[in-house]
Amino acid sequence: MKRAAALLLISCGLFAQQRPQQGSATGPAAQAEAFWRQERYQEANNAFRIAVEREPQNADLRVRWGRLFLERFNKAEAAKLFEEALELQPNHAGALLGLALVAADGFDMRAVQLAEKACAADPNLVEARELLARLALEDGDTQKAIDHADKALAISPEALDAMAVRAAIDFLNDRESSPWMDRILKINPRYGEAYATVGRFFILNRRYEEGIRFYQKAVEIQPRLWSAHSELGINLMRLAQDDAARRHLVLAYENGYRNSATVNTLRLLDSYKNFVFLKSQDVILKLDRKEAEPLRPYIEAELRRAMRTYEKKYGLKLDRPVQVELYPNHEDFAVRTLGMPGLGALGVAFGYVVAMDSPSARKPGSFHWASTLWHEMSHVYVLAATKHRVPRWFTEGLSVHEETAVSPDWGDRLSPPIIAAIRDKKLLPVSQLDRGFVRPSYPDQVIVSYFQAGRLCDYIAKTWGEQKLVEMIRGFAELKSTPQVIRDTLGIEPEELDKRFFAAVEAETKKTVDGFKQWQEGMRRLNAAAEAGNHDAVIAQGPALRDLFPEFVEQGCAYELIAAAHLAKGDKPAAIAELTRYSKAGGRNPATIKQLATLLEEAGRGAEAAAALERLIYIAPLDEELHTRLGNLWLAQGNAEGAIREFTTVIALKPLDLAASHYNLARAWKAAANHDRAMEALLQALEAAPGYKPAQKMLLELTQ
Amino acid sequence: MRTFHRLLLESAAVLWLAALPASAATYYVTVAGLGGEPEYEQRFAAWAQEIDKYVKAGAARVVTLHGPDATRDRVRAALEAVARDAGPQDAFVLMLIGHGTYDNVEYKFNLPGPDISGGELATLLDRIRARQLIVNMTSASGACLELWSKPNRVVITATKSGTEKNATLFARFWVEALREPAADTDKNETVSAAEAFRYAEQKTAKFYESQKRLATEHARMEGDAASSFIVARFGQASAALNDPAKRQLLERREQLEQKIDELKLQKAAMPSAEYRKQLTALLVELAKTQAELDK
Repeated sequence: MKRAAALLLISCGLFAQQRPQQGSATGPAAQAEAFWRQERYQEANNAFRIAVEREPQNADLRVRWGRLFLERFNKAEAAKLFEEALELQPNHAGALLGLALVAADGFDMRAVQLAEKACAADPNLVEARELLARLALEDGDTQKAIDHADKALAISPEALDAMAVRAAIDFLNDRESSPWMDRILKINPRYGEAYATVGRFFILNRRYEEGIRFYQKAVEIQPRLWSAHSELGINLMRLAQDDAARRHLVLAYENGYRNSATVNTLRLLDSYKNFVFLKSQDVILKLDRKEAEPLRPYIEAELRRAMRTYEKKYGLKLDRPVQVELYPNHEDFAVRTLGMPGLGALGVAFGYVVAMDSPSARKPGSFHWASTLWHEMSHVYVLAATKHRVPRWFTEGLSVHEETAVSPDWGDRLSPPIIAAIRDKKLLPVSQLDRGFVRPSYPDQVIVSYFQAGRLCDYIAKTWGEQKLVEMIRGFAELKSTPQVIRDTLGIEPEELDKRFFAAVEAETKKTVDGFKQWQEGMRRLNAAAEAGNHDAVIAQGPALRDLFPEFVEQGCAYELIAAAHLAKGDKPAAIAELTRYSKAGGRNPATIKQLATLLEEAGRGAEAAAALERLIYIAPLDEELHTRLGNLWLAQGNAEGAIREFTTVIALKPLDLAASHYNLARAWKAAANHDRAMEALLQALEAAPGYKPAQKMLLELTQ
Repeated sequence: MRTFHRLLLESAAVLWLAALPASAATYYVTVAGLGGEPEYEQRFAAWAQEIDKYVKAGAARVVTLHGPDATRDRVRAALEAVARDAGPQDAFVLMLIGHGTYDNVEYKFNLPGPDISGGELATLLDRIRARQLIVNMTSASGACLELWSKPNRVVITATKSGTEKNATLFARFWVEALREPAADTDKNETVSAAEAFRYAEQKTAKFYESQKRLATEHARMEGDAASSFIVARFGQASAALNDPAKRQLLERREQLEQKIDELKLQKAAMPSAEYRKQLTALLVELAKTQAELDK
């Protein structure tokens, strides 16, 4: 226990030195510290409040109070107290460190800056050095992490968290053991934090199974380390081990560790009763009960198509079933991923488990679910092939590349933030591209990094062939670094690849980047002309603006305005041509695509109308009208199988007009010459509406 | 049933009527209130005009008020006229489109000039002896639900209470139900108030769900006779209804429909093969009878 007491002082950094000098040992500040040690947090909070009221000018007190808030999951209050301390005492090392810890928790770039300032303010502040070591390792800069850890150890040879960072580096490099971990456990055999730190780095590197093993060791030697129980629960859930996950999360919760991630994750686990698991030999689908029936055929078919493609392309067959989970509530998906709401992503792959937004999670037209599914499934294969040893830029880039490889209208388009990044030369060298994902330095850098990584993989495939991407996967599986893989696979230096790639991207996007301002101004004028009903002006000026930024297919885009102007002038063929361009460019507005289908149908181009609507299945698959229209089109085209699929989906969507839906299905089965199924569907139609005349006529035909 | 049959014969387009006893008449009052801004003014007036078109096609007694005409005095006058003219054998349908307000005490239907309150409308409606279908599609319309509910009256509101104060979409889908064959779920070529309510309610809910918007309206219906109010009729009505030579066939059809209903009630207690066999036989018989009627 003595060691543990000593440890407390160390693990609090050198805060003992900064604790309030005033007041007696029994004063409110001392009481607050005592309550805190006894995990009586509310009483500690009250005591700190009294202490601060008594000594409003004491910056140290505010820093300690802030640290209590930070420990008890209230970053906002903590940050406020640290700021107040800095107002009282600019350059207060503890306050700077506190703000650095708050920033680090949110993967904010300012964390490094603040921690460095704290070190400058107090060169002996061990905890700030330890934080810098941790941040460097998060950035993948192992050498810097070692340097900072060693500096911390030079100040305090028993800086356990610095040693934990050194141990993490050893374990991440596949060492079975680490002398640093041995040293830690010699100093404090029950310091589970050390294993938890290692676990955290494995998780950050998406090596979930290993991360979980380290968290398990953490709670084995320190059973009351509730934060580790919580993390263990969250990560077990990521690997779909829900029962074990719940046990650890409940344990953490019941022992007062009720941070947002723990509470949210437990709530999410409770909601799993609303999901169904649809299992087959190689695939498990986890879908919300309400939408499982209509979605399953499309999701399953697309999943298998992706698996067949990747198996062939990457030369790898998955050795266990892959689980794909779709969440109709985006925030549930976010909690599933991070334990917290507010995630901007659409999908995530945790090894053999993929979680993503359901098509119903987003407004129709804003989400291409199949593109996301293929993206995540590429991760599944790449993570399996490399045993999760793959840099972020490459696996993301390859996934983005695969989206458009399926179909050019899939994937994300060039957007204004990306145009700005290209214009301002903000693309990162390939060897630093991971940083754009992990610790972005400007608001849209993650989006820009996805784009850059995707285009880089496109460039590699175009220049050297798709096979080179597969060779790169193998290179990463052999634990080679990005520069080494580039040298070995492409035969050039990373700097040379950057040079060539940047030149190619700039050439490819030059027209749009150079003309972006002109396009913005022109689009304002074009929208005004459209609003004023000046169709001739829209038709005259629209095409040039459209071609200046052809990837812009969002609401109010030139394609839609031009098509509307043509329609207003009665020129349907021109409207069809424009809307076809829109669809090919990746336009996803369901109403616009349906309009194209209507025009094509009116023009007697049924097959093209069906093809236009079929694209919508990837965008808004829970639309009853879409499936009814598509079913009718397939039937008219003689595609009975397609019609059966679509009309079956309509019924699964529980339509209001059940009789007509069953009757349509009966028509499709009849077209497929399946008398029994046609009769079955027909009886269901007539059971719902006995007087339904078209169904009665068919019944007489079938029973004659 | 004379009035009923006469209207059926006129149903080349969509007709509006209520299922009425002999010599009954149907009175319609449709009011589109104050829009407040041009977009709403146009929208409310368009819906009222569309309803007006369907109602007049049924040759019923119709008053439709929108724009500057939709004043409190005009509304009062229209309802007072119905109270004066309609008897207990008649039917009355009131449809209100627009904005409503509720201050936790009183509901008000917003009109050009002074508004009309829920209480005032209740008094006017209570004077009408005909059985009634009241469809209040305004914001905060739920505030009227309890106030207006009484025997011999069906009340439909776009919102569940007076606290749902945002502009509503229910009216858009109610009007759509009157022209959309999918609303006719039992395929008897008519749309009852119950069917129109279900259609509009479901479409409204789906709209909010698919647009990822918080639903700010939840429609409600009080009264158990909504199925008896036929609010729209599709296609050519059967001339057989007026042909004495086909009376036997009509009776046969009615018997078969009744038998099918009885069989459906026994479904859970029967072996499925037996149920299917009996159902098929009855449906085939019904289809043959209908084919004879349609000759």
